Amino acid sequence: MSPARVLTLHEAALADRAGLIARHPAVFRRVTAARLGTSLTAAAALGLLAFGLWRLEFSPGRIAGGLAQLLHFLGMMLPPDPGSASRAFLILRGLAETLAIALLGTLLAAAVALPLGFLAARNTSAGRLVHFLSRRALDSIRGVDALIWALIWVSVVGLGPFAGVLAIMTSDIGTFGKLFSEAIEATDRRAVEGVTSAGGGRLARIRFGVLPAVLPVMAGQVLYMFESNTRSSTIIGIVGAGGIGLMLSEMIRTLEWGVVSFIVLLVLVAVAVIDTISGRLRAGLAG
Amino acid sequence: MLIIEGLTRRFGDRVAVDDVCLEVPRGAFVGIIGRSGAGKSTLLRLVNRLAEPSAGRILWDGAEVTGLRGRALRDWRARCAMVFQGFNLSGRLDVLTNVLVGRLNKVPAHRSLLCLWSDADRAVALAALERFDIAELAAQRAEHLSGGQQQRVAIARALVQEPEIILADEPIASLDPRNTRVVMEALARINRDYGITVLCNLHSLDIARSYCDRLVGLSAGRLVFDGAPDALDADAARRLYGLEAADVMDAARPGLASPAPSPFLAHT
Ligand SMILES: Nc1ncnc2c1ncn2[C@@H]1O[C@H](COP(=O)(O)OP(=O)(O)O)[C@@H](O)[C@H]1O
Ligand SMILES: [Mg+2]
Repeated sequence: MSPARVLTLHEAALADRAGLIARHPAVFRRVTAARLGTSLTAAAALGLLAFGLWRLEFSPGRIAGGLAQLLHFLGMMLPPDPGSASRAFLILRGLAETLAIALLGTLLAAAVALPLGFLAARNTSAGRLVHFLSRRALDSIRGVDALIWALIWVSVVGLGPFAGVLAIMTSDIGTFGKLFSEAIEATDRRAVEGVTSAGGGRLARIRFGVLPAVLPVMAGQVLYMFESNTRSSTIIGIVGAGGIGLMLSEMIRTLEWGVVSFIVLLVLVAVAVIDTISGRLRAGLAG
Repeated sequence: MLIIEGLTRRFGDRVAVDDVCLEVPRGAFVGIIGRSGAGKSTLLRLVNRLAEPSAGRILWDGAEVTGLRGRALRDWRARCAMVFQGFNLSGRLDVLTNVLVGRLNKVPAHRSLLCLWSDADRAVALAALERFDIAELAAQRAEHLSGGQQQRVAIARALVQEPEIILADEPIASLDPRNTRVVMEALARINRDYGITVLCNLHSLDIARSYCDRLVGLSAGRLVFDGAPDALDADAARRLYGLEAADVMDAARPGLASPAPSPFLAHT
């Protein structure tokens, strides 16, 4: 007779099923608190969606009706056409102004945000109160969108690109300050300690321990924001803060769809070019 | 002369350094040994004032170091250079600038912050690099160097501080055997040639025996051994290192097994 065959894990588990259930009842429970909670949350989310659609007068019929209109406009957008050479020149000038607003606004914001970033970073701030206050200040600036800043600055300094630069700058100070301070907090503590141990003060710690590590990160963030600001500065042009946006909104109002599609295409091309260049530069910085 | 009196550092309920008393004459090469967590790093950090003591005093040449503030504290740090296990260089800065950080305290802030180092300072930094055979790496980014090279840069930085004492916290813990020898030789030469006092944390007992003229043993923050390397017998080492003893000792070492008079202090 052969000795008793060793049971496989599978067989042993099935043979001892009752015992396992008795020893670990929680594992075998079908309805658990967590499952119940998940189902209830899902149901509540669905209910909220339904209520929202009803409350905001969501109507598939109106989309269907409008669809014909949309197709009609799309048809009129073809071919993209500036109309005349002089208008094409005006459009290009507007685009250049938009790019200039984005570039200048981004650089100014970065310049102002640099010291703020150090004050808002836990490891380089000057005391707990300064840290807290600069954090809160950056949060509040960031809470207001560039479009609202544009409306504010237009009424303060008047229509034109100057208001646009100020709008981009103010809205981005908050974003940059936050990004910079997070980059600063993520730097290697050991390099800073090395400078401290050699007798370096606060500024020396920042200059030799923190800056070399964070400057490339910051430069990458500035390039990325320039990209995204090219889009924002088109929008803020609509409220009169300079650049191509104003002409774009006028053309939409006067139903010159060929010109509209020409402008939109130009903006897309400009954004794509900047995107490619800054992507290359950022890859270079990371090395 | 370095005098440490009743030095204690607590982290919450944990006592990292516990009532340590120690006197180190100028020019000594002292190895601080003990298992990891014994408080070796904390002890050195207290001396450089990277950590604040919970109790006790540190004196250098009779002047109290604990309690220094501002300018005086930075001057003290410049006089007691530190070498770390992780090198603690600024990775993206070039090697020369990393070494020149050791001159910070001797240069007006407006010059150092703009990296307007004088030719004299550059010469000192290069001389230090040449001493350790890495002058040709001066323009490289520190992060591109090997571990052994980085530690030599760190020692060059310490040297250009023209310190009176060098505190080395496990300077060889992340190095291979060849670089271990290079780095320990560098510290030994600094000690011999310039008479700079060296306090060196070491995990390996064998390395400690070969380079130090005095060993100090820490266990759970307390000083439990203080004497010549020969006085540390196998029994004492076992008490110091516990289960780690086999790792840090060359088991075949003759003489270790012979019992010697116990050099343990009253603390145990
Ligand atoms: N910054 C700190 N915060 C909390 N505990 C610490 C800190 N530094 C060291 N310790 C504790 O103090 C003890 C001694 O640590 P350390 O001096 O690094 O020992 P060693 O260098 O001998 O390995 C350890 O238990 C460690 O966990
Ligand atoms: Mg340590």
